[in-house]
Amino acid sequence: MAKYSKQPMKTLAITVLLVFGIACTIRAVDGQATPISLEAAKELGRVKSRFLKQTVADTKPIEAIPTAEVEYFQKSVAPLLHKSCLACHGPEKSEGRLRVDQLNPDLLTGADVERWREVYNVISNSIMPPEDAPDYSLADVDRGNIADWLSGELNKASFVRRSSKAHSSFRRLTKYEYNYALQDLLGLPYALANTLPPETASEDGFKNSSELLQMSASQFESYREIGLKALKRATVSGERPQAVTYIISMQDAMDKATSGKEDKTFDKSDESYRKQKNQPHLLNRETGKGIRFLDRKSMPVPDAVAGQMPAVSPVVLILPRSKELKLDLDRFLPDEGIMRVRLRAGRSTMKADEYASLRLIFSAHTSNNANFSQVISEHDIPVTESGDNPQFIHFDIPLSDIQRNPFRKLTTTFPRRDEFLHIQNVSNAPGREEQLHVLIDYIEISAPFYEQWPPKTHTDIFFASDNKGNEEIYGREVMSRFLRRVWRRPVTTEEVDQFMALFAKYRPGFSTFEEAMLEVLATALATPEFLYLTQRVSAEETQSPTRISELELASRLSVFLWSSIPDDELLKLAEQGKLRETEVLADQVKRMLADPRSRRFSQNFVEQWLGLDRLNSVTHVTDSSLKEAMQHEPVAYFDEVLRHNHSVMDFIHSDYAMVNERLAAHYRIPGVFGPDFRKVHIDLQSNRGGVLTGAAILAMNSDGKDSHPLKRGVWMLKRILDDPPPPPPPNVPEVDLTNPEILKMTLKERIADHRNKSACISCHSRIDPWGIAFENYDALGAYRTQIQDKPVDATSELFNRQTLAGMDGLKKYLLTDRQDQFARAMVHKLTAYALGRPLSFGDRADIDSLTAQLRQRDDGLGDLIQLIISSNLFNTK
Amino acid sequence: MNHKSMLLSRRAFLRGTGVALALPWFESFAAAEPGVEETPKRFLSVYHPDGVGLPLKSDPAWNDWSWFPRGGEKDFELTKVLDVLEPLRSEITIYSGLSHPAARQVHGHSNADQYLTGAPIGGEGPYRNTISLDQVYAEHAGDFTRHSSLVMSTNGGVGGPRGAQTQSFNREGRPIPAMNKPKEIFDMLFVTSGKDAAARLARSKSALDLLIDNTRSLGRQLSSRDQETLKQYLDAVRDTELKLTKAQKWIDTPIPEVDTRNLHLDAEPKEARLYFQTMYELIYLAFLSDSTRVATFQLGRENGEGPHDLLSLAVGLHGAHGLTHEVKKPDGWKNLGTYNRYQAEEFGRFAQRLKETPEPTGQGNMLDNTLAMHGSASSSFHLSRNYPIISAGGKNLGFTNGRYLKFGKGNEDNQAGAGIDTDAGWTAKVEVEELPLSKLFVTILQRLGVETDSFGGSTGTLTRV
Repeated sequence: MAKYSKQPMKTLAITVLLVFGIACTIRAVDGQATPISLEAAKELGRVKSRFLKQTVADTKPIEAIPTAEVEYFQKSVAPLLHKSCLACHGPEKSEGRLRVDQLNPDLLTGADVERWREVYNVISNSIMPPEDAPDYSLADVDRGNIADWLSGELNKASFVRRSSKAHSSFRRLTKYEYNYALQDLLGLPYALANTLPPETASEDGFKNSSELLQMSASQFESYREIGLKALKRATVSGERPQAVTYIISMQDAMDKATSGKEDKTFDKSDESYRKQKNQPHLLNRETGKGIRFLDRKSMPVPDAVAGQMPAVSPVVLILPRSKELKLDLDRFLPDEGIMRVRLRAGRSTMKADEYASLRLIFSAHTSNNANFSQVISEHDIPVTESGDNPQFIHFDIPLSDIQRNPFRKLTTTFPRRDEFLHIQNVSNAPGREEQLHVLIDYIEISAPFYEQWPPKTHTDIFFASDNKGNEEIYGREVMSRFLRRVWRRPVTTEEVDQFMALFAKYRPGFSTFEEAMLEVLATALATPEFLYLTQRVSAEETQSPTRISELELASRLSVFLWSSIPDDELLKLAEQGKLRETEVLADQVKRMLADPRSRRFSQNFVEQWLGLDRLNSVTHVTDSSLKEAMQHEPVAYFDEVLRHNHSVMDFIHSDYAMVNERLAAHYRIPGVFGPDFRKVHIDLQSNRGGVLTGAAILAMNSDGKDSHPLKRGVWMLKRILDDPPPPPPPNVPEVDLTNPEILKMTLKERIADHRNKSACISCHSRIDPWGIAFENYDALGAYRTQIQDKPVDATSELFNRQTLAGMDGLKKYLLTDRQDQFARAMVHKLTAYALGRPLSFGDRADIDSLTAQLRQRDDGLGDLIQLIISSNLFNTK
Repeated sequence: MNHKSMLLSRRAFLRGTGVALALPWFESFAAAEPGVEETPKRFLSVYHPDGVGLPLKSDPAWNDWSWFPRGGEKDFELTKVLDVLEPLRSEITIYSGLSHPAARQVHGHSNADQYLTGAPIGGEGPYRNTISLDQVYAEHAGDFTRHSSLVMSTNGGVGGPRGAQTQSFNREGRPIPAMNKPKEIFDMLFVTSGKDAAARLARSKSALDLLIDNTRSLGRQLSSRDQETLKQYLDAVRDTELKLTKAQKWIDTPIPEVDTRNLHLDAEPKEARLYFQTMYELIYLAFLSDSTRVATFQLGRENGEGPHDLLSLAVGLHGAHGLTHEVKKPDGWKNLGTYNRYQAEEFGRFAQRLKETPEPTGQGNMLDNTLAMHGSASSSFHLSRNYPIISAGGKNLGFTNGRYLKFGKGNEDNQAGAGIDTDAGWTAKVEVEELPLSKLFVTILQRLGVETDSFGGSTGTLTRV
């Protein structure tokens, strides 16, 4: 594919024309006769691109004030339209209420831009004239001429209308952006903003869309509360608190369990060990002697210090697959702070196809039927080392964020006060003779745990200074530094004065400097400049659209790629006025994408682009690990394409998939072990590759029992092709499921029956065929060749008479004929997300220009991010 | 400040964006001034654990000690359990055939948590609740009074997940701690220093001043279009300011003086009668003084144990929870019925007191403007179906009383799950049709003036109520 674009332009144009002709020949007999591979389809489709035929100069946004080219229209375009379109869209018949003879050819000032845009879409995508109307067919050259004229005029119209500024990027941070901003600002890795209301998604599916991000008084109050609470979590006062520490050494546990109870022990060589070995038990690996682990109460060890490195013990706890160690911690864990659970673990066997990981669960059982248990570890942590050379693993759990036993402070013993920590082995180990177990010889539980005292989160705010003795001067230092991060810009003395005046008012009400200061800092966290993405108007500004400042660019960048505020490096570059330098900007984007924070971009963009939220509201995916894997797949896939600068066409099809063991099993891809997602090469028989066949997409667009072609079709049009169908009209007749004739029909027949009702046909004929092509995938997204003993019929015919033979046919068609549309859709979606506002007609020229540049660069997703960031759109208000 | 015009313009703005949004509760501020009087609408929910007696028809105890009435909507006949309410017959409604769908096969002891929320909390594993009925109304009416709601229980605090000791849950589904000591409740309602509160308020006011200043100076640097967006933020700050002003007014408004003759502020649950009556009297005084319009009261906790299980001492019986386990012993149904009768008696006494008190600022008596509910999340032994519910009052809100309303199908004589004393009851398949209790809650909310069409995942109201 790369070979075309790397050649000089002229050669390219010729090649394009040549191959274009060939491609058409193939397409004429496509479907049955000449099956081509998906790879070949990708190549063929690419050379058909209209965007590739334009020179870069053509696609640059127009500088001078343009005028409409009506003369050319009258001479060259109108006759073609009259010949090919008028029969159905003229005085005789006006299907779709369109009369091409009445459209105003001046797109710049006329009122018919939207209609012309539709005409452009159907002409350029070869949807019209219909293929079964040969009398009206358009020669490719003519089609090209109409499309060229229209695209030029549409672009000019877009440029003219852009100045009307339909939407603004000035907006509040979303709930998740605010959460990340606070996390990054204060260095707290916990979910902080759960009490904020959820965001509404725009028509494009985006939650960061400026016009939907509202503010209310109760929300404002939540910001104030969250801010103060987070600041209090980040800072400390007084002496380092004494930690409550539990130490469980398996050697000790063994000693206690066996003392005086020799008869309860067993030997590894005993026949009876078979029964024991799949239950948690203590075992001396040297002597082979074992005993059941007794669920005894653990008590804190006074004065114990966490972080010890005792010698590796031969006595270990054997934790088989899915089994857990349940520790009764009584009632001594503190209310707040981090609980560090640190343990030393290894594997009993090292087979490459098996994995084991650890998970923490917290529970209480206060009285009959009054109980709870919840997973408290954010991720399972894999155990990778052998039992002979065990590794330390730790979990940090914020105690104030988890469900606790509310009775733990009672002075009476009922309801029960105990709290339990469960350590669970999550593993894929099959029931082999030599089972994979996790071996644990040492456990420490300590809370509140601090890496250092005072913690870094504290000294980041209350840093060391020679002026610490002087509250006024030091307060000013603290405030200035904090405000700069919060506002993402340098601050003036006058601005700091305001906050210091507040501090002066507060100070008498508090016993310490820090306490009073926290209240003032919390006020800064409620200012609009923290909560909103600003774009200031400078005094000399008259014409629009104008550039945003470098500081605003830094914020726009970090919100785009990190869903958060800029870090110090970005901020410094912006302050120095260097961020816009081409090289600097490109390097920064590279740096930002390499930073782990960019995973938030993949996560949030993909979730919103594809509408993955919807999977949360389906009830038929009952296996939680499958559901989790389904939901993560498209994110991992996008991440892969992004990081390797693969072509965006890979979203349509690729010869690789991103799977973990659970999902690979679902897809029947062999040889994938473990919970991590990785890239695997797949062949055609796997019927996967790209996002269309992702189980999440297929499952969420099902009705709970079976596939739902209509939902899948609508999804495809909205999310992939950016061509959303109109909403259903009111009073749509329901499919009558009591009618025996209808009950007899297959799903596809039912759809056809419904579609043939006159009220429904015009929309459904545009939607259903897309969805029917997905029929080989059931409600869970598994591949199938039969439905209720009948072979699956996934062949459908599009409105333009194009046959889609199942998913393979759909992909081929998209790759051969719709590459431009998809590339543009991708640009549109990513740009809308990057700008945090809906795109309007006025943005059209810029989107086209970006699409052309993307196509010229071989459609690389990584390149597209760079293109968007250096684009005019991204740099203006 | 002219609140009305500001709110109007804000509404207009929201409409202008073409976005369907629930207007935040601050919209009710315009009328939220102390002294601007409108007849208060009040809501009380009393919860009792462990359900009621439900013997089989074939059981000799059925005639006297089955909780549900006999007969039709108007000509119903009360058994001995509820006959204490006969004098109030025209002021009460009794319901059958209602329950929360998600709880129907969950052990009754787990379910006090979801009685007012309808949340699918399940019987084990992770726990998540949602906002309770009283708190939805408190969001609406809480600004009219010094306290947005009064949350009480005999056990106090929040209890544990699936072992609630409070009936009230906030917008995030977190439990609101209940008060259980009459003295503390009285002090909170009628003796407050307000010194700390005043200092906090003063701080908040200074912070808001700074934020308004800061917002204005930012606004000057924005395009006129972006200023419109920023105005929403400014409105939010100003609404908060109004709230502070209101809070300040409460601090400055003298605490009402009430008649304390019927209060025994040191009473403890084991002095059951005194305790019961004092708690009800506190609700009465809080309503009378318009200190709050929303109250919940939970009697005991599910599954008994502890001193609060001794409320049945009021009628000379030990261990309220134990009564449900002993129904098959001699006098078992009678004993349980006697305790339920006592609960009804105290509820009736409270309703009677409201009825005898003319509405201080409006027409009719206080009961006419109050909807008081009394109920449990189990009918019979551990069985979370067919909740036994009584409501009293609410004539001026649109409730027509003097009725026994049966809902659902297939259980007209309340025999489904009757006579059981084993876990075979609650684990059994649901054979009869019941309606979601949340439909009644929607009706109640609408009559209290909350514009809503759904609650707890259920849409629509109950007809006939």
